Amino acid sequence: MLYEVYCREFKLVLSDMGIIIFLGLLPSAYPIIYSLIYNPELVREVKIVAVDHDRTPLSRELARNLNASQEVAIIGYASDLSEGRRAMNEHEVYGILEIPEGFERKVRSGEVGNAVIYSEMSLLLRYRAMLVAATNVGQAMSAEIQTEDIDRVLPLAETVAVGDPMQTVNVTMGNIESGFDSFIMPGIVVLILQQCLVLAIGMAGGAKRENPLLTGYNAVNEMPSVLMTMLGQVLCYFTVITLPTIFLLHYVALIFSFPMAGSIWQIFTFIMPMVLASILLGMAVQAVVWERESIFVLWVVTSVVFLFLSGLTWPRYGMSGFWKVLSDCVPATWGVQGFIRMNSNGASLAQVRPDYINLWWCVAGYGVLAYVLQRWVVRPSVFRRQKAQ
Amino acid sequence: MRQTGFRAIFMRSVLQLVRRPIYWVGMLVLPLFCVLFLTSEMESGLPVKAPAAIVDKDGSSLSRQLTRTLGGMQLIDLVETDNSYTQARHSMQEGKIYGFFLIPENFEADLLAGRSPSVTYYTNATYYVPAALLFKSFKSTALYSKAGIMLNVLESAGATADQVTPLLQPVSVQVRGIGNPWLNYAYYLCVSFLPGVVQLMILLVTCFSLGQEIKYGSSVQLMRMAGGSIYKAVAAKLLPQTIAWMILMMFLESWLFGWQHYPMHGSWFWFTVSELLFVLACQGLGLFFFAILPNLRLSLSVSALMGILTFSLAAFSFPVESMYGAVGIMSWLTPVRYNFLIYIDQALNGIDVYYSRYWYAAYIVFMLLPFTLMWRLRKVMMKPVYIP
Repeated sequence: MLYEVYCREFKLVLSDMGIIIFLGLLPSAYPIIYSLIYNPELVREVKIVAVDHDRTPLSRELARNLNASQEVAIIGYASDLSEGRRAMNEHEVYGILEIPEGFERKVRSGEVGNAVIYSEMSLLLRYRAMLVAATNVGQAMSAEIQTEDIDRVLPLAETVAVGDPMQTVNVTMGNIESGFDSFIMPGIVVLILQQCLVLAIGMAGGAKRENPLLTGYNAVNEMPSVLMTMLGQVLCYFTVITLPTIFLLHYVALIFSFPMAGSIWQIFTFIMPMVLASILLGMAVQAVVWERESIFVLWVVTSVVFLFLSGLTWPRYGMSGFWKVLSDCVPATWGVQGFIRMNSNGASLAQVRPDYINLWWCVAGYGVLAYVLQRWVVRPSVFRRQKAQ
Repeated sequence: MRQTGFRAIFMRSVLQLVRRPIYWVGMLVLPLFCVLFLTSEMESGLPVKAPAAIVDKDGSSLSRQLTRTLGGMQLIDLVETDNSYTQARHSMQEGKIYGFFLIPENFEADLLAGRSPSVTYYTNATYYVPAALLFKSFKSTALYSKAGIMLNVLESAGATADQVTPLLQPVSVQVRGIGNPWLNYAYYLCVSFLPGVVQLMILLVTCFSLGQEIKYGSSVQLMRMAGGSIYKAVAAKLLPQTIAWMILMMFLESWLFGWQHYPMHGSWFWFTVSELLFVLACQGLGLFFFAILPNLRLSLSVSALMGILTFSLAAFSFPVESMYGAVGIMSWLTPVRYNFLIYIDQALNGIDVYYSRYWYAAYIVFMLLPFTLMWRLRKVMMKPVYIP
């Protein structure tokens, strides 16, 4: 009996091109395209223009050092700020380096030489690149001049202040290169997994309610038991999504060299309830999908909402009460949170225990919701359809 | 009521929009939900108070002073005191903290003896934004403390304060952000993602509403009402949607720039023009997709793919010039990219509209796109075939 539902649902999946695209093409093509967009990982060589009012060896050294940094490239010199501003307005450069007159004189006479980079704020990552370059170059040149100067100003001080009194070391963990792709993709693949399932199952729900003559599929020969029908369908989708899941969670990271610190078996154990919860969420969504194609209009845009709710781009501690509760109810939230910590930080299944438990709560919650909606909304409408014919 | 002509088709499509709940959801509920959601989630502009830990293995007065400085930073919430690196790392793996600051054993003693101890700070770059904010706070705490220590050392060697200060950093290069000195993240996310949502919905609804005519074969009636003119049929069919989308964009503009006080340093007029042209450009692109693939599901698939990829392709966070060439080109093929660039030019930077001339021209290109394929659309509308 269960086996029959399983087979029937398989037939529906395999005979509907739309569902095949959602379950096969989407999970295989989308992460590849997405990764390619961000794969350069870092922002390098942001173009700036230099306005040098000082024109001394030191000011030229500053410009040279900035140009030599990985983050910034000086593509030319402007005679004054307004010329630099014009280049910025024409979108030729994203920043203007201004070195004031008397820069070298000030530094040599024991004052502070201030140079400024005016950064256009069209993108925060460009600003960040300029900030990193400016800080590094400023510190490196300062250190060089310090050792010369301390000697000169205070011959005695050398005995107590040789070198660096206190070193600071930064260690980046997880995504050790701080790359953009390696940060965003591990979360995105989990989100893709959830969305593929809901889109496919939603579309199948629409197909069941339509005229069989139009879609070539007759849904009305379900088993009497709603629970068994649901179980058969869940098993069917679980089978179909197995290969895409392995591809998304393992091979995408392998292809694009994302962090892979976790144990693959623990990861699959962890993601299993998320897949189940997504399938059940899809079966609940079926209640509002009246025709196959409606699911596009109704569900595609939720990806954006779920991305922000997942805590990937905007951390969960920064969310206000209501949105946090909503975020708690999305399977992908816990999937993303647990998966990125296992995959990138090497957490074990025991260390993502709270997330894992919450996923099972999602399974329970959406299970009940799906049952209620299937029993009192979806199934009656399928039968009404049958009577109408 | 006349059964043919522009007005009859117009009224017919108004009724279609009003009668089916899916249009209410797609054109009103979902976009408005996204507007409310994003603006209220990003209200603070930056997620402050990132949970972090301190590992103080020294326990001296100096290390405690450092801990207090750290605790006073605006962006940090010191939630834990751990005894060892391993303990802190486990906390990080469990997601309780996003970074930690480690002061080694004998820190104070080594420092006073000139043995140059090192403090280390760890950030979890798996979470980009918290890691960047923690990095900034950790680094400045370390640098302040270091400066304080050098000041003490040099003064004990007999230097005066005004001699010492420039010694600490004789060369300083500051970076000043024009237009957004507060580094408000919402100024980018909301003004790029919300038009992105609108573009996605316009593409989908355009293809959906036209596809319905093909699916149920009513396109024949539509063409008859238009007297066989495809231009008349499509224009009258889509005009009610155009009006609805334009109202939505006007609401979005006044919500963000009027109500929420997002920066508007330039011309309201040109920005409003951009918002209205944006609607037409998106509809043009949607119509173009439908003319290429006059099939409900395929055109919706392409619209969904394009609409969702746009959020990354349009380079709202990762710059185009850093992408691979072939991928970077794609970012210019989507209307919302120009909407974002005009926002930067006209609202954030407030420069002359002359510098944005190309972006406005791009809108026009999107509007003209479907005219190349109207003959094909006409053929399909006359003989509709539904392929599931």
